[in-house]
Amino acid sequence: MTGGALRSGASVRLLPTHGAKAVEMMMKARVDNISKSEQKRNMPEATAFLPELRERVRRIERPTATARGVLPFGLAGIDRALPDGGLAQGALHEILGAGGDEEDGALAAAFAAGILGRLTVSGDGMVLWCLPRPDLYGPGLAAHGLDPGRVVLVSTPRDTEILWAMEEGLRAPGIVAVVGEVGTLTATASRRLQLAAERSGITAFLLRRWRDGGQAARERALPNAAVTRWRITTMHSIPLRSEPGVGRLRWRVELLRCRSGEPACWEMEVPDATDHVSLAAALADRPAAPLSSEKFRRTG
Amino acid sequence: MPLADALSFLPSLATAAAEPAEEAAALRRLAEWSGLYSPWTAPDGTDGVRIEITGSAHLWGGEAALAADLVTRLDRQCIAGRIAIADTLGAAWAIARFAEAGESAVILPPGEVRAALGPLPVEALRLDPTTAQGLRRVGLKRVGDLYAMPRDALARRFGETVAERLDQALDNLPEPLSPLGEAPTRRVRLSFAEPIADPADLMLAAERLTADLVRRLAREGTGARRLDLTFYRVDGRVERIRLGTARPSRDPRHLVALFKERLDTVDPDLGIEDMILAAFVVEPLPAEQLGLPHPNPPPRAGEGRVGAGKETSGVSPLIDRLGNKLGLAAVYRLEPRESHIPERALVRVPVAGPHPSPPPCSRGREGPAKRGGGGSDKPSRPIRLFEPPEPVEAFWLLPDDPPFRFIWRRRRHQVTSADGPERIADEWWQPEGSGAVDEIRDYYRVEDEEGRRFWLFRAGFHGWDRPPRWFVHGVFS
Repeated sequence: MTGGALRSGASVRLLPTHGAKAVEMMMKARVDNISKSEQKRNMPEATAFLPELRERVRRIERPTATARGVLPFGLAGIDRALPDGGLAQGALHEILGAGGDEEDGALAAAFAAGILGRLTVSGDGMVLWCLPRPDLYGPGLAAHGLDPGRVVLVSTPRDTEILWAMEEGLRAPGIVAVVGEVGTLTATASRRLQLAAERSGITAFLLRRWRDGGQAARERALPNAAVTRWRITTMHSIPLRSEPGVGRLRWRVELLRCRSGEPACWEMEVPDATDHVSLAAALADRPAAPLSSEKFRRTG
Repeated sequence: MPLADALSFLPSLATAAAEPAEEAAALRRLAEWSGLYSPWTAPDGTDGVRIEITGSAHLWGGEAALAADLVTRLDRQCIAGRIAIADTLGAAWAIARFAEAGESAVILPPGEVRAALGPLPVEALRLDPTTAQGLRRVGLKRVGDLYAMPRDALARRFGETVAERLDQALDNLPEPLSPLGEAPTRRVRLSFAEPIADPADLMLAAERLTADLVRRLAREGTGARRLDLTFYRVDGRVERIRLGTARPSRDPRHLVALFKERLDTVDPDLGIEDMILAAFVVEPLPAEQLGLPHPNPPPRAGEGRVGAGKETSGVSPLIDRLGNKLGLAAVYRLEPRESHIPERALVRVPVAGPHPSPPPCSRGREGPAKRGGGGSDKPSRPIRLFEPPEPVEAFWLLPDDPPFRFIWRRRRHQVTSADGPERIADEWWQPEGSGAVDEIRDYYRVEDEEGRRFWLFRAGFHGWDRPPRWFVHGVFS
């Protein structure tokens, strides 16, 4: 674009790869130059268009984040923390488990299934789910609101092939979302996925699944191009009032990183097929101690 | 004659160790290469290749022309050989090996088998050496000597083989050739005057072959499900691209794109002289406007094959791409089945495979919350299911209790709360011992001190001859 509207003769080319800060610095530098070269004649004018400039920059940057629309969680608490009030569609999201679950990826899969259930509920289109081991269980997906009939699975042991399959999925018509369970991920690979998602408007989810603690330690902190990074940690279930056994399941959901948003942390009841996601009921009327002294509930 | 004796007679004798495995491989390659002439080819013993040319000789301008072409090509590969064309496999085998030396190709006119085989030694009937020796011992030296013998006497004295081989050679008994690969249903061939090696040329040839095949398929109203593009190299090797498609297809652009992706796996070496495109599985595909998106595709014959048809039809190009790189079995769908046995409640159905129309998936949204314990009408199921279940070392107090501690993958888990048991036994209508469940299982959903939730089960009872064993079958969210 050209900045002809700003000042005659002052043209600024914005590189799409630059973040807002870089662009703003370029603009500032130019403004400084102009003011110096014109002996501060235009100083008031120059400062006046700075807010306008910021707005323009924000608009230029926005397409990369939420141009394809957002999927609200329907929970004010979470939606507030996300730019434009929801999970960006046509973007790459990363979901991590915690502790021993980093190996099995059950929590990440369940969290993704809940989101995908909401994503696929309207309209048709399939979900492509690429995984290293065929251990995803349909009834479990259904319990989190994702109809297993809407999922095409690709099982291949190598990370590179999973990434390749994801990228293919992100270019294909008839796909609404792509999920990949990936161990090793380079910044370049994640960047490719993010660009492919942006281009096609298909939402992509990276579920991180690590073979062992060593790989987890290496990979956990590496930066990548995902728009958000979530970590799901399991919490002790809340015992039900009158019954022993495993009670209401809860997660701690952490938004570790979010482009143009703030990191945050919630406690959440594990969503199910009917109400996909619900925050823990403010944890207000939680009983102080289980009312029943028995530890196990018998069902059989 | 032992090697030492032979060397003493002729010290300059060149020797080489026999390598049966490599020779067999080379013979197999030659048989594969012979696919050029006919789809029905197979290696024959350790020193021959059989080619069934019925119905394909005219494509080469007759049997003589075919034989001449074969001789030239074998010459170029420095393979000394003898070619025989006859009415039966047995006769061709005999003539190729036992006819008097002369020209390198012998073509036996139809109906002359009996006369031609008569003067050949009995070994020409593909008999093992002991049988042949036995025949010789009683004075039956020529095949012709056997013609007059009563069959039952032959069978009594020398076993069924002699009579059977004789009948096969004389065309009284059919002898089908089992080809190396599966025989294709449609085949188109393209030969080049000069060998080609440039990828762009190969692509162009592939396009022409595809167009040829597609024209035929369109005329018949069918689409291909499995395709082979075979490249015959100058040096007698064969390169192959094998493709499968999720639904019958005769869209040339789609097929060519699939070939193009795999073309770099083909090594043309010094050049390719022939290419054959063969369709192995074709299925009805009525005429339709290809390439236009159908908002609601009309129901058609092939619909049942692709799962919930409408949904996968849009993604079938993607499935083809994934399947052709990773193997078609790697791409699958989950389909619920009515079974209470966890691993049977779900089957992995290859997206590309044949597929009866599935029942509508109703598990998606049914019933109230299944989790959380209170008022659940259905037991909850894990999101990851391990197959096979992973054994754990468990510690428990009472025979019916869930464990209070278990060790899984070398880590200790302290159970803080548990639900259960849910008893699952084998399906009684299955025959004994056929099921996945060989013992009665009691499932528990347990939560450990970290808050992780597992699906444990105990196989067997207390008091049985075998102590109960514990397994982790899945992980809950």
